[in-house]
Amino acid sequence: MSEAPVIRVRGLVKTFQGVRALDGVDFEVAHGEVVVVIGQSGSGKSTLIRCLNGLVEPDAGEVLVGGEAVDTHSQADWRRLRQRIGMVFQDYALFPHLTVTRNITLAPVRTGRATQAEAEELARQLLERVRLPEKAAAYPAELSGGQQQRVAIARALAMRPDAMLFDEPTSALDPETIQEVLDLMRELARDGMTMVIVSHEMGFAREVADRVVFIDRGRVVETGTPDAIFRNAREARTRDFLAKIL
Amino acid sequence: MQLLLDNSWILLSGLRQTFQLAVVTLACVTVVSVLIGMLSVARYRWARIVAICYVEFFRDIPLLVNMLFVYFGAPLLGLPLSPYGAALISLTLWGGANGAEIVRGGINAVPRHQTVSAVALGLKPWEIFRYIVLPQALLPILPPFTGLFANLVQATTLASLVGVTEFFRIGGIIVERTTLQEGHSPAFLVYGFVLVVYFVICSLLTALSRRLERNLQRRGGRVAQVATPRESV
Ligand SMILES: Nc1ncnc2c1ncn2[C@@H]1O[C@H](COP(=O)(O)OP(=O)(O)OP(=O)(O)O)[C@@H](O)[C@H]1O
Ligand SMILES: [Mg+2]
Repeated sequence: MSEAPVIRVRGLVKTFQGVRALDGVDFEVAHGEVVVVIGQSGSGKSTLIRCLNGLVEPDAGEVLVGGEAVDTHSQADWRRLRQRIGMVFQDYALFPHLTVTRNITLAPVRTGRATQAEAEELARQLLERVRLPEKAAAYPAELSGGQQQRVAIARALAMRPDAMLFDEPTSALDPETIQEVLDLMRELARDGMTMVIVSHEMGFAREVADRVVFIDRGRVVETGTPDAIFRNAREARTRDFLAKIL
Repeated sequence: MQLLLDNSWILLSGLRQTFQLAVVTLACVTVVSVLIGMLSVARYRWARIVAICYVEFFRDIPLLVNMLFVYFGAPLLGLPLSPYGAALISLTLWGGANGAEIVRGGINAVPRHQTVSAVALGLKPWEIFRYIVLPQALLPILPPFTGLFANLVQATTLASLVGVTEFFRIGGIIVERTTLQEGHSPAFLVYGFVLVVYFVICSLLTALSRRLERNLQRRGGRVAQVATPRESV
């Protein structure tokens, strides 16, 4: 039996003030699959990943979540679906005026996914999982970058999403704390979480990805297993890009 | 000095009237400021235009003209206003325009990624405003709002011109009465005293505002800063 992809987009186009950020992108993630998106700065990676949960409204193209077509112009439609798709940003963006626990419980409680008590119990478990149980009552400013990013991951997981989107989750971190975040993401991958990851960490991509997607100037140039992309890229543009950063 | 002591009771009642007017105005100003401030950052263009027109209009007309216009204009609309009512309305319209700018600054100072990550969590716009934006905007607007309160206290003196017997007006009454009764004018003494009282009140409020601002700065990156606009009466 073939299951519908968790997220699937077809022919996505997005133009910002005359700049074609996406130029007809087809993309999909299967259940339990880990897809790493790579490409140069400005190639459209963030725009693509933001289209997957409606933070960016594409000019054209269709988005299907769990096989269901999304009205990409309807924020109410997106709001419902976003509860099934977690997102983690480069700048973690925890809510600075709320404790770590409140950061995690706010959305599940407000969206009616859990009662306050259930959410708090879940927050406790998640903090255990991201190895920060002692920070439950701390404020984000008291945490290191890597710790904040792990809380941001816990906050997204608290919605019990079907898929997680990561937009360069380690780019803003100190080198010492990058590993702790990557380790956590490795664990998520091992536990079968469906993930789309924009990353410049090629070693990590090679290790966790089921599939690597190379984007250039708003188009998917090449997609394949890590081996196929990193060792035997077919496209010259992919090889040029990899040669520059590896 | 004896003169001031003899009149201490009515001076105090004037001061009470001044404070009462300032505090009630501040309450109304807060409501108007938040509403207009929210409109000025709303998604809808028409809402922003309404807010901009309101703010620009009431900041660009002299408060005194505004007050006289409300006082003499309201009866023409079939709403005769007491001097107090007219002063309250016009001070609120004026303070609301200045307060709305402060609120707008506070909201805009909340980094955009805060809203974006709240959106990504599936929160509704009003929830984002209530739980994420407003609490973060509140702290940085506290100092400029305290400053606005000091300006409101000063601005209440204008209410005397439509006949509110607040502190400044009481001073005037004492001067007139004493001049008539005793043949010499104690204007320098009385107005000097009035000046000192306003100075003390407003400089205390300004000091409080500065202090709040410093405390916020010490909290460092936790909260954003909002510039204090300088209002002119
Ligand atoms: N909100 C926006 N307004 C205007 N232009 C934008 C906006 N977002 C993206 N762009 C433009 O769209 C193009 C693609 O941007 P995008 O952020 O998707 O690239 P990226 O691959 O994520 O780059 P990076 O690796 O630097 O994060 C760029 O040229 C960028 O300048
Ligand atoms: Mg990006």
